[in-house]
Formats: sequence, C-alpha cells, structure tokens
Amino acid sequence: MKMSKTGLAVIFAAYVLVPLLLGSNSYVMSLIVAAMIIGGIALAWALLGNLGGMVSFGHSAFFGVGAYVSAILTMKAGVPVLAAMLLGGAGAVAASLAMLPVLRLKGPYFALAILAYAHIFKILATEWSSVTGGSAGLASVPRFPTLMGVDLSSKTGSYLIVLSLLLVFIAAYRLIRSSHYGIALRAMHDSEDATRVVGVNSTLLKALMLFVSAFMTGVIGAFNVHYINFLEPDYAFSGLWVTLPIVAAIFGGYRTILGPLVGAVTVYLVDQLVFKNLIPSGHQLVLGALLVAMIIFSPGGLMPLLRKGSRRKHAAA
Amino acid sequence: MSELIMQALYSGVLQGGSYALIALGLALVFGTMKVINLAHGELVLLAAYMAYTVESRFGLSPMFAIPVALVLVCICAVLVYFLISLIRKDRELNSLILTYGVGIILTNAVLLIWSADVRSTSSAWMQDALVFGPFYSMRSEVLFFVVSMALMGGLWWWLSKSWYGRAVRAVSSNRDAAKLMGINPRTTEIVSFVVAGILAAFAGVAIFSYGVIQPAFGHALTVKAFIITVLAGIGSIPGVMVGALLLGIAEALTVTLASSALQELVGMGLFLLVLFVMPNGLFGAAGRRG
Repeated sequence: MKMSKTGLAVIFAAYVLVPLLLGSNSYVMSLIVAAMIIGGIALAWALLGNLGGMVSFGHSAFFGVGAYVSAILTMKAGVPVLAAMLLGGAGAVAASLAMLPVLRLKGPYFALAILAYAHIFKILATEWSSVTGGSAGLASVPRFPTLMGVDLSSKTGSYLIVLSLLLVFIAAYRLIRSSHYGIALRAMHDSEDATRVVGVNSTLLKALMLFVSAFMTGVIGAFNVHYINFLEPDYAFSGLWVTLPIVAAIFGGYRTILGPLVGAVTVYLVDQLVFKNLIPSGHQLVLGALLVAMIIFSPGGLMPLLRKGSRRKHAAA
Repeated sequence: MSELIMQALYSGVLQGGSYALIALGLALVFGTMKVINLAHGELVLLAAYMAYTVESRFGLSPMFAIPVALVLVCICAVLVYFLISLIRKDRELNSLILTYGVGIILTNAVLLIWSADVRSTSSAWMQDALVFGPFYSMRSEVLFFVVSMALMGGLWWWLSKSWYGRAVRAVSSNRDAAKLMGINPRTTEIVSFVVAGILAAFAGVAIFSYGVIQPAFGHALTVKAFIITVLAGIGSIPGVMVGALLLGIAEALTVTLASSALQELVGMGLFLLVLFVMPNGLFGAAGRRG
C-alpha cells in the first residue's frame, strides 16, 4: 500500500509532536482522546455506510457491548486489559450476529431494525445485574498497564493507544476498499440485484462489513471503558454514541476514509468548547440542525466540497 | 391470576389505541413517500407537551390542548415534509438521516423548553377510575381509546371514499400510474404528512392524559410505531390496528407477569419473531426483502 509523504509526516507528528507539545495539558489531551473515540466510531459507521450501503442507528449497541465484554473479562476472569479490549471487539461481532436476519431487509427496514436492536442490549445490561452490575454499573474497571516503561493509563498513554487503533482501522479500511471485496461492494452500491446476478453473495458481503464495523466500534467501546474506569448502562448505550459519530461522518464526508475522523475532531471540539457553553443542557440541538443542513446542502460532506473548491482554484490558476 | 391476565389484556387493548394512531401516521407517510419519518415519535411528544402546558399554565383539561396541538404538530409535519423534499439524491437513506436529525432537534427543543423532568396529568377527572364489570381503568384511557377508534374509522372512510384519500392510496401503490391519472404526488405527500400529524396530535394528548412523558420518550415511540408496522406489514390498516393491539397487550402482560423493566424488551421480541417467521408481516404484501 502506498503511503504519501504528508501521510507519514502526519503520523509522525501525531505520535511524537502532539504528546511532546500538549502532553502536559491533561484537559487538552482528554478532549483529543474523546474526539478520537468519536472518530473511531464515526469511521466504523462510515465504513458500513460507504462500503455496505447501510445506515445504522444502532452503533451504540456495539460500543456498549464491547465495553461490557472487556470490563467483565478483566474484572471477573482476570484477562489482561489489552487482550480483553480485542475480545470486546469480538463480543460486539457476536452481538452483530443477532442482527443478521435484518440484513436481508431493504434500506429503511434495516436502519430501524438496528435502532430497535440497540434498545435490547441496553435493557439486557440493566436487567442482567448479576453479571453487569445492573443500573448501578461497574466501578473501578482495570486501567491500562505500563508497557515498556510507558504508562498507558496516563492521558498521553491512552492517546497513543487510541491513535494506534485508529491507524490500524484506517489501514484495514483501505485494504478492504482496494480488495476484491471492495470492488464487489462498490458494484453493489450501484445495483445490488445486478451484482447478485453475476454471482456475488451480497448478503454475505454486507454481513462481513457489519462484522468489521461492529468489531471496530466494540474495540473503541472497550478502550473507552478502561480509559474512564467506569461503566453503567445509560452511559454505555447512550444515544450520544450514535448521534455524534453520524454527525461527524456526515459532516466530514462518509464516503471518504479521513472525512469521518476530521469531522469527529471538528464537531466534537466545537460542540464541547462552544455549544456546550452556550446551551448547557440541549446543545445537541445544534448537532441535529447541522445534520439536517448537511443532508440538504452537501450530503457528501465537507471534504468533497472543499476538494471541489480547491480543484476550481487550481483550474483557475 | 386469570383476573390479572384479563385486566392486562384490557389495559393492553386500551393502550393499543394510541399506538395504532402513531403507527398509522408512520405507515401513511411511508406509503406515499417511501420515507420513514424518524421524527414521528417526537411529533407525538410535542403534542403531549402542549397538553402539559395547557394543563399546567391555564389549568384546563388536556382535551383543550387538542386544537393547539393539531396546528403545531401539523405545521411541524409539513416542515419535515419540505425538508425531505429538499433532498436531492439518494432520498431513501438520506431522508432517514435527515429525519433522525429533526428528531434530535425536537427532543432537545423539548428538553430546553420543558426540562428533563417526567410529567404526567394532574387532572382528577382524567385519572378517575372507570369500572366495567371486572375491568378497571382510568377514565382517560377509555376516553382516548374511543377517540382513537373514531379517528381510525374516519381514516378508513377517508382513505376509501374521499378523493384525497384515494389519491393517497393510488400514489402508495403506484406513483407513476397515479401521476398519469392526474394526481399530483406532491400534494398527496403533503396531505399524508398532515393526516399523520393529526393522528400524532391526538395520540400525544392521549399519552399525556393517561401516562407519563419525558423528552427522550419520542424516540421510543418511533421504534414502537415501526415495530407495529413490521408486525402488520405495510399497507394494511386493519393490520396496523391488530399489530398495535398485539403490542399493547404484550406489553401489559409483561408488566403484569414479569416486570415493567422488561416492557420494552417484549416489543423487540415480537419484532424479531415476526422478522424470522413471517418476514412480510402478519398482513403485508411481499416485497420488504432485498
């Protein structure tokens, strides 16, 4: 896979410069980590939307299941934190298995069915209190360990973990997109029936995309629980884990890989720093308005819009 | 025990009345526009909060909120329609995201205006007991069940006898053919949104009169309405009625026999069962699968 020089420079800056320059300011670092968590879900959501052609309103289910699986495995079975994080992703995939019958449904049915599914897991987490701690939640979930002299539980350490996760996700996304599967998926986007006629098992491909997306979201959920060390159903399955990523992905452009990440950082920071101060309790109203405006004026997101603008500039020069 | 079950059946049927109104609105709009309005539950919620305002501010019965709620909800419904009609491409999926956004706006507007507190009616008349033989209920439950039955009767008459009602059905079944017959699909779409708004306004006032409301409730209502349309299979009014009654009864039975926390779960359970066993719903025509 080719990697551009600017790409390498950005990665270098992210690994070295950001911790060096901002690492001492824990407020800024916590904002960045939170934005990257949203970015991770947004990327997973966009992967499902772009490659699988599915709009999901239920990603909070994957996020929450990943968090619970990882937290319970570390607390009750003594699994090491980093391994449990991956198992959290596997747990989210297992949860997505329950959604398979819905995959055969057309557009709006899928979106609403997955919305309904998300509710199921929240109720399960609340009611199955012997395992999940019920609505009181789980306190003192194990933190990240110290690895090779780096304290991963610190703000900077957690930042490095989530950064690595996002880079792996991006690489995986690119790999899928350029593989045979990616071609078939793109063809499916044009006409699912035609693709099936030439022998592509479209339901299987969609299922694979759902698994990948669920896995990513679950791992991010698991990362988050070890990062904040606390978990309760209302938080783990909060609608916020759906709303913010959708707004971020649509804002940045869900058909691109970097769009959702850029969107997440922009939307999250502006929301936290500006709107939350202006309207403390209903600041999501602005997010809803942004979503509506984006769908009407530029459903492809801001990134394509900017690119179009710069292309025009180049053409003029 | 059997008395408890009978009572649960009765309460479930009464609850099913407003569920049916909400689900019919969702199904009507889906019929004409092939768009699921994810903000539909929030429209219902808006009507419920109007009822709350009329009662708490002016000390009037929630019934008096109906005219205000009708106007407000219909205006909002038409606004949603115009926003959807502005979508240029890929309307099926983009309209979902758009109406999801409208839902967020409405939920947070409700939160800002009325705060996050749980509200319920304080009208003694509404909460008075009404006993029919072995069955017990609140007066408001029976009142609004009758109202919703009347509305559904009216809707049935409107869809089968009136010009616009027939136009709505024509556009639902074949848009192009309806156009050729001189029906303007845009007008029909607006009409379907307005009718959905009317049904939502009544359902909202009903829900406030016998239950509790809070800002996050709208979302749950949309999900319930969707579950009912899946149970029913889209395009069948009797189907929606039966689906709504089924959901109401299933919820009431769960509350009686198990716990109220599981109330939401039973709807999902029904939903999954129908998807597995009868993917086109209990009464629907084929064509939901891709």
